[in-house]
Formats: sequence, C-alpha cells, structure tokens
Amino acid sequence: MTRLTSKVCVVGDFAVGKTSVVERFVSNHFSAKYLSTVGVKIDTKEIEQSALGVTHKLVVWDVAGSDRFGDKEFAYLRGASGYIFVADGTRALTIESVKTIQSQIGDKYGDAPSVLLLNKRDLTAEWEVNDERFESLQASFNGAFKTSAKTGDEVEDAFKRLAQLIVENELRGK
Amino acid sequence: MELPVPVVDYLQSNFLEETRPFCLLLDSDYRVVDSWGDNSWCGLTGIEPGSDMRETAPFLVGLPLTAVQRFEFIETVGRAIVHAHLVPDRGSCYVVLLDARLAHAAQQAKQQSVNEHRLLHARQRKFIARQRELISDLIETRSQLEHHRQDAERSSAEKSRFIASMSHEFRTPLASIINYAELAAAADTSANDVQKCVETISRSARHLTSLVEALLDDARLDAGQLELYEHDFDLYKVFDDLAGMMAPLAAEKGLAFATMVDPEVPDVVYADEMRLRQVLINLLGNAVKFTLEGSVEIAATYSAGRLQITVADTGPGISAVDQERVFGAFERGSAREKTGAGLGLTISLRLVKLMNGEVSLESVPGEGCRFCIVIPVAASVAPSALDTDMLAAPGADAMAQKPLSVLICDDDRDMVALIEHYLHRSGYGLITSSDTTEAIEKTLKYKPDLVLMDCNVPGIGGVAAARQLREEGFREPIVALTASNLDAEEQSAFTRFFRKPAPMQELLTEIKHLTHET
Repeated sequence: MTRLTSKVCVVGDFAVGKTSVVERFVSNHFSAKYLSTVGVKIDTKEIEQSALGVTHKLVVWDVAGSDRFGDKEFAYLRGASGYIFVADGTRALTIESVKTIQSQIGDKYGDAPSVLLLNKRDLTAEWEVNDERFESLQASFNGAFKTSAKTGDEVEDAFKRLAQLIVENELRGK
Repeated sequence: MELPVPVVDYLQSNFLEETRPFCLLLDSDYRVVDSWGDNSWCGLTGIEPGSDMRETAPFLVGLPLTAVQRFEFIETVGRAIVHAHLVPDRGSCYVVLLDARLAHAAQQAKQQSVNEHRLLHARQRKFIARQRELISDLIETRSQLEHHRQDAERSSAEKSRFIASMSHEFRTPLASIINYAELAAAADTSANDVQKCVETISRSARHLTSLVEALLDDARLDAGQLELYEHDFDLYKVFDDLAGMMAPLAAEKGLAFATMVDPEVPDVVYADEMRLRQVLINLLGNAVKFTLEGSVEIAATYSAGRLQITVADTGPGISAVDQERVFGAFERGSAREKTGAGLGLTISLRLVKLMNGEVSLESVPGEGCRFCIVIPVAASVAPSALDTDMLAAPGADAMAQKPLSVLICDDDRDMVALIEHYLHRSGYGLITSSDTTEAIEKTLKYKPDLVLMDCNVPGIGGVAAARQLREEGFREPIVALTASNLDAEEQSAFTRFFRKPAPMQELLTEIKHLTHET
C-alpha cells in the first residue's frame, strides 16, 4: 500500500458544526455544547483506500469560523490538498458564506478538491434548504452531503469522498 | 533609539517566562538538525536528530520551509496551544513554538461571547421571519373566515327565503284541507258537497306529499344518501304511462302532445325506472304547465348504450340569463309562474347526474324550450313474469282470498284505524300493538301471516324489532310503513319498505301478494 499524507482544511461560517463533524470523523464522538474555535485545531486520521491501494493519513485543520477570510486565515490554508466546506442547513445564509470563502480560496490558491457538508440534518423542523437548492449546490462542489455530526449521518462518507478526490488528483500528478 | 539594557533584559525575561519558547532547526526534508528550549509543555517529546518532524508535529505537513510564516493559536494533536513561527535560514528552517494558552483562553472567552450573541441574533431574525409568516397566515385565515362567514350568511338568508317560500307553499294546501274538512263536517253540507270536499282534500294532500318528497329528495341528494334502484323494466310502458298521464292534461289546455320513440330504443333497459319517471314527469309537467298554445313533445333515441330523451315545448321559453339559473336550487325562471317548491328541475338535474347522465337546455324566448337528457342504460331482456306481475295495476282483486292475519305495530291511532279499516274490509284478521316490545311478544305468540311495522314507535324501534323477530325465528314477511328515512342497510331488515303516506291500494296489493306468496 502506498502511504500518502494530505492536509485538509475544514472551513465555513461560525457555529455551523465544523469542530463537531471533525470530532465525529476523528473520534466518532459528539458534544452538543457549543465551544467557539480560536485559531485552528489540528487532528489526524488514517483511512484505507483499498481500491486505490493507498493508506491515507489526513491532517485535518479545523479553522475558526468566518464568513470571509483574511491574511491570518489564508496562512492556515497554505499547502492544503483539499477542502471541506461546512454550512448549516438550518441557517441558509451560511451557504452564502461558504460560497464567498470558496471564491476567495479559488482566487488565492487555485482549484483543489472540495466537498460541501450541509450539516445539522437531524434538525428537520428547522431545515431551510429544499431539494432543488441542494441539487444546485452539488453541481458547485465535487460532492455535497446532508450531514449530521450528532447522528454521524454521511460525515465519514464526505471525508472519504474528499480523500478519494485528493488521491485521484495526486495520481494525475497535479 | 535603543531601549536601555536593563529594560531589554526585563522584557526578554518576562517574554521567555510567559511563552516558554521551544526552537527546532529543520533541514529541507523536515528532519531535525537541532533543538533548543523546554519542549515538555508542547507535547513534542522524543525529538531525535534526523527524525521527520511532520510525524511528531503534523501541522508542518504541506507547509513550505522557504518563507517566513506565522500561525496564531494552533491547537496541536497533543492539545497544546501554540503560536508557530517558521524562519528560513540558508536552506534550513527554524521552527519556533510559543506557549499561547493564556492568550487563547482570553480570546476564546471573547469570541465565544461574540459568536453566541450573533447566533442569538440569527435566531431572533428567524423567529421574527416566522412571526411575520404566521401573521401573514393569520391574516389569510381571517380573510378566508370572513369569506366563509359571508357565505354562511348568504346561505342562511337563502334558507330563510326558502323556508318563507315553503311555508307559503305548505299553508295553501293545508288551508284547503282544514277548510274543506270543516265544511265536510258541517251538518248542513249535502252529500254531493261532502264528496267534492273529500276530493279537494285528497288533491291537496297529494300536493303536500309531492312537496315533502321533493324536499326529502333534495336533502338526500345533498347528503349523498339517495341511492338508485336499478332493475330491468319495460321502457315503452314508461312512455305509454307518461303519454297517458300528460296527454289529457295537454288536451285540457288545447295543446298537441306527441311521443316519438325511435325503433332503435330497446324494449327493456336496466336503470332506475322510478327516478327516470320522476325526471320525465317533471320535465313534461313543466312543459305542459307553461305552454299556452302549440305542442309538447317527448322523443327518445338510443345509440351506443346511451338513451337520449328530449322534451320540447312551444311555450314562452327561457332567457339566456335565466337558463344559467334555471337549474339552481330554489331558483325559477322569471317568465315562469311562481308555484311549486322550485326544486323540480334541480332534483331532475341531480338525479340525471346520479345516473351518470347529462341534462342540457336549448331555448329562445318566445320559441319554447328543449330539454335533453342523455343517460347510459344497458339494453336488457324482457322482465320476468314475477316482475310483470309486480308491476300489474292493483284492482278489485286486492281483496284477500282467504282468512289471514296481519299484526300492525304503530302508535298513531288514526293510522292504525285507517289500515285496520282497509285490511278488515279485505278480509284480514288483525292484531294491533303500539310499541315494539309488545309487538314482538304478540308476533311470536299469535304468529301472524305478515307484520306491518312503523319504525319510529316506542320500544326498541321498528328496525331493531324486525331484526329481533328474524333472530327469534319469525319467517313471515315484515313490511315497513314509516315516515322515517331509512338507509339501505336499515331497509334490508324488512321484506318491503313503504314510506308514509303510501297509496293504500298499492299497500294492500303488496300485502296480499306477500301473504299469498307464503
């Protein structure tokens, strides 16, 4: 198996659940208490991508929430191989923040594999994103997932999808 | 200008004490060349020269070692919080880690407060938007309620007008009945005048009955409780009967009356004969009633399973405006006389719809009317001998031919006396009862040949009584004679069902038929 290590940055507006999805992915744990992230949290997780023959170590940078990035945030993203964009399905405005950040990153560092997580899908009564809008979002990213850090729904799928995209990108020699 | 040496020393000492710097020198492959300072607080233990620092400090993955870089507040895998500085120097790179826990705690508390405030604000915005939606819904609901209220008021006003109208319609024949009954009872009234009084009373009573039947039909149609009774019947006999009924009325007014039935029309069809007759009698009755000169015609054709019957007259016709209203309940065309309940055409339309048919009207004022009904009916074979016998007109042979007994259960003394009179005259032995419990006892004790049962009588009620009698093993016919409106399931408790006021001759014929069958 080939060993590969990639830096992945998790970005999005504040309180959309970035730290929670990372914690669900890395430790399979969830805490309902909201604790604002300052700066960046680093975690790692190794996943097997048998079909591609790769043992893939992801170094996950959980970046403090923001609706627009400045120099400090851009410094965190340097050398990233892919991005996890996170928005809150119960606050549709956070999708606009993701779009702004996506555009800023594209301008600064160019294209890189990315997936969108519409988080908090367990809060169905407060959900604000209809199917039609979700489909249009899927077209804007390499994949879009309705996730719940609370239940774990689709969280691992989303990270694995990004990891697969990164490996494919590496194999293409990009 | 440089600071004094003691101040520089003081600041340097303070800074080093607070930040506890740990410094690494890495080569271009991220391998450790050398290290300085205390590394115990930052979780980076076991650092050996030559080891790849990306394994121990994963945050270095992807970072170039060729540019000065500064990262604030990195929470490492070991949960230390550092400010990291990368300082390249001649192909190598110094990595300086400063303890940032104190600054992080202060920043976190401040940011937490700001974010919670923003979240609260977002929730408030959402709540306000939801409130606006609810207020909008409330306004819409109130508007709908207002519409419903206005509809209800209109409906109530229409109902009041209708009741006032019906009150008048009922009072006229009732006044006739009361006044002629008083005249008939007067001592000085001649036998000839008594006979005329009775005829007038009978005519008024029949008119009252037709009003009640129309109202009941309309109510049953409203409630969706009117069911069709479809069976094979002789269609030509229906046309003959209609001609026999209408031609004399037309002749009285000097009108020509014609019936034209296409040879394609089948002799026998499967449909609801009674309701078809009701519709045609209504249409023909109106045509004769409102036509002052000329003719009234009824014509029938049959094609592809659909029977088309047209009733045409040369009367005053109906204006385009009134044609729209003419089928509406309680509405009558303005050119028409203001008599009757005004329900006939409405009921006819609804009955035809119930038969999956259609009614259309063509009319030009001054040139008459042409009503056309089209209903799907299946051609059938000739009715059975039994049906023919059932349809036979009652006559003198309504008399019972052998002593038979009938139990009458009814709490209306006048009705019991009347039926008793007719049945006794027809040779029946009679048992009477005014409540159902007693009727059951007497039936089981005396075993009459037939039970004639009112439904709304004291005790368990006629329907329950009939069912109990069947459970007790009574097998003779049980005939309902009631003013109550029974549904199909309730009617099934009885051998036959008659609604008061039933034509006495017809009732006697049926009783004779049933008692002789058994």
